[in-house]
Amino acid sequence: MNSIEVDHLTKKFGDFVAVNEISFQVREGEIFGFLGANGAGKTTAIKMMSGLLQPTSGKAIVAGYDVTTQAKLIKRNIGYMSQRFSLYNDLTVFENMQLFGTIYKIPRTELKQRIMDSLAALELTKQANLLVNSIPLGWKQKLAFATAILHKPKIVFLDEPTSGVDPIVRREFWNLIYQTASTGVTILVTTHYMDEAEYCHRISIMADGNIRLLGTPEELKQQVGVSTINDVFVEYVKH
Amino acid sequence: MKELRMILKKEFIHIFRDRITLLLVLAMPVALVLLFGFTISTDIHNARIAVLDHSKDSQSQAFIQKLSSSNYFQIVSYPNTETEIDFQFKENNIKLAIVIPHNFESQLEKEHNTTIQVIDDVSDLNIASILNNYVRSVVLDFQNEYNESITHGEPFSITTKMEYNSNMESVYMFVPGIITLIMILVTALMSSITLAREKETGTMRMLFITPVKKIYVVIGKVIPYMIISFISTIVIIVISVFVFKMPLNGSIFFLLLLCIIFMLTAASFGMLISTISTTQLDAMMITMMGLFLPTVLLSGFLFPLNSMPMVFQVLANIFPAKWFILAIKDVMIKGSGFFDVWPYLTILFGMAVIFISISLKMLDKRN
Repeated sequence: MNSIEVDHLTKKFGDFVAVNEISFQVREGEIFGFLGANGAGKTTAIKMMSGLLQPTSGKAIVAGYDVTTQAKLIKRNIGYMSQRFSLYNDLTVFENMQLFGTIYKIPRTELKQRIMDSLAALELTKQANLLVNSIPLGWKQKLAFATAILHKPKIVFLDEPTSGVDPIVRREFWNLIYQTASTGVTILVTTHYMDEAEYCHRISIMADGNIRLLGTPEELKQQVGVSTINDVFVEYVKH
Repeated sequence: MKELRMILKKEFIHIFRDRITLLLVLAMPVALVLLFGFTISTDIHNARIAVLDHSKDSQSQAFIQKLSSSNYFQIVSYPNTETEIDFQFKENNIKLAIVIPHNFESQLEKEHNTTIQVIDDVSDLNIASILNNYVRSVVLDFQNEYNESITHGEPFSITTKMEYNSNMESVYMFVPGIITLIMILVTALMSSITLAREKETGTMRMLFITPVKKIYVVIGKVIPYMIISFISTIVIIVISVFVFKMPLNGSIFFLLLLCIIFMLTAASFGMLISTISTTQLDAMMITMMGLFLPTVLLSGFLFPLNSMPMVFQVLANIFPAKWFILAIKDVMIKGSGFFDVWPYLTILFGMAVIFISISLKMLDKRN
């Protein structure tokens, strides 16, 4: 089963083509790496897939819904976490999760249970009543991820989730991603760390609004004839 | 609805955890009223004056009596010549001098007409013009009494009467102005700044990617500040009535209803600003230039509208403050009810409807 099906998706801002007829599919439970230089069109593509931005042309089916006509249903079934930490700093860990959980209409008692469970899994139970402001960035990112999957979305969009955190937290974060994917949740992740790209099931490399390469990390390395994804990336974004 | 409640709860947490801002927002109205009431007050009590009485008859004595019994003046000297008056001005001993002509009484009786000379220290134009007005009102009083006392002959013909604010208390003029400013500052400025802050930090993006209705996010921002500015308004009214003895001739409930309607107008303007501005600086500049300055300058609160060039008088009509100040003055001082001020209410309400519908359109367009 494919949980994301993108078909000739295009977004133009005036004369500028931000995303140019991209097509790809992502399977359920797959970790899909969405790579590309800054300004390659990744964020625009994610915005269209998450129902925030209407495509100029083309089609995208996300979690079984059409992005042009069923944006509301898509929003209900996806989670999103951004490169910039964007929970409320002056709310406690618990209050942040309660806020977003309530917005996704999770029933009160169940929400409380889910928050407690997910905090326990992150070993953040003791910090539940601390202001988010006062916890380290690495924990914040894990918290943001836990909040993004609180409503049990079918797909999670992670926009550079690990930028600015230390290697240990990055490793822990990827363990979380694997755990989540193993329960059947599809993960679409963008990153600038090429070692992280190796962790993905499949990756695509975007440049100038087009998808230049698509495949498993092994396939891409063979195809380009280099030994690391880093070299693949440099080779392809250069042109 | 549950989502809206949750968003409101979050906004109140933001407000209560930011102690300094909360303190500022709550203390500002009190400070403003007290500041205006006690220091920037344009009322002058017991101004030091000199009276040069050339006539020294019973009527001139009665007039001097009238002057000194008013609260406005304190007669500190009775010079005999005009050079003495000059000297007193130079010494900065007096603010104003009055010269009663020779034959004051007989001129009044025979010609029903006489001239009193008033000499002002115009180095402070404001004070001079206020004192002049005071003298005029004392003269009027004196004329009225004189006319009543004579049973024969022609009375004086001047009949100007000050109907409202007869003792010219300036507190009546600035209380409505302060209420207006507070409501704009708190409702429009605070809500638009905090909304812009969410755009800056990226939390807005998080909210908009969820299925929550955008209108809930905006309403949730505005309502807490409406409540705070409503509390402030009540505090201002209480202080102005009990400390500065401002009359409250209209119905208090109607007055509060009026305030709520204006709050809605201010809030709707805040919504509009929030939707068009992307940074806190934008939000602040737009509120300041688009709402705050026009309110201070063009509402008739500090500067009387009818002495402005026609362009500005017309321009003043498009800002809500003018209409609110007209209405609140009528209700508090004249005791007007709904049937007297409904045109103002309709204008304010209409503006709110227009601002809200524009900002809803903009919200839909964005993202």
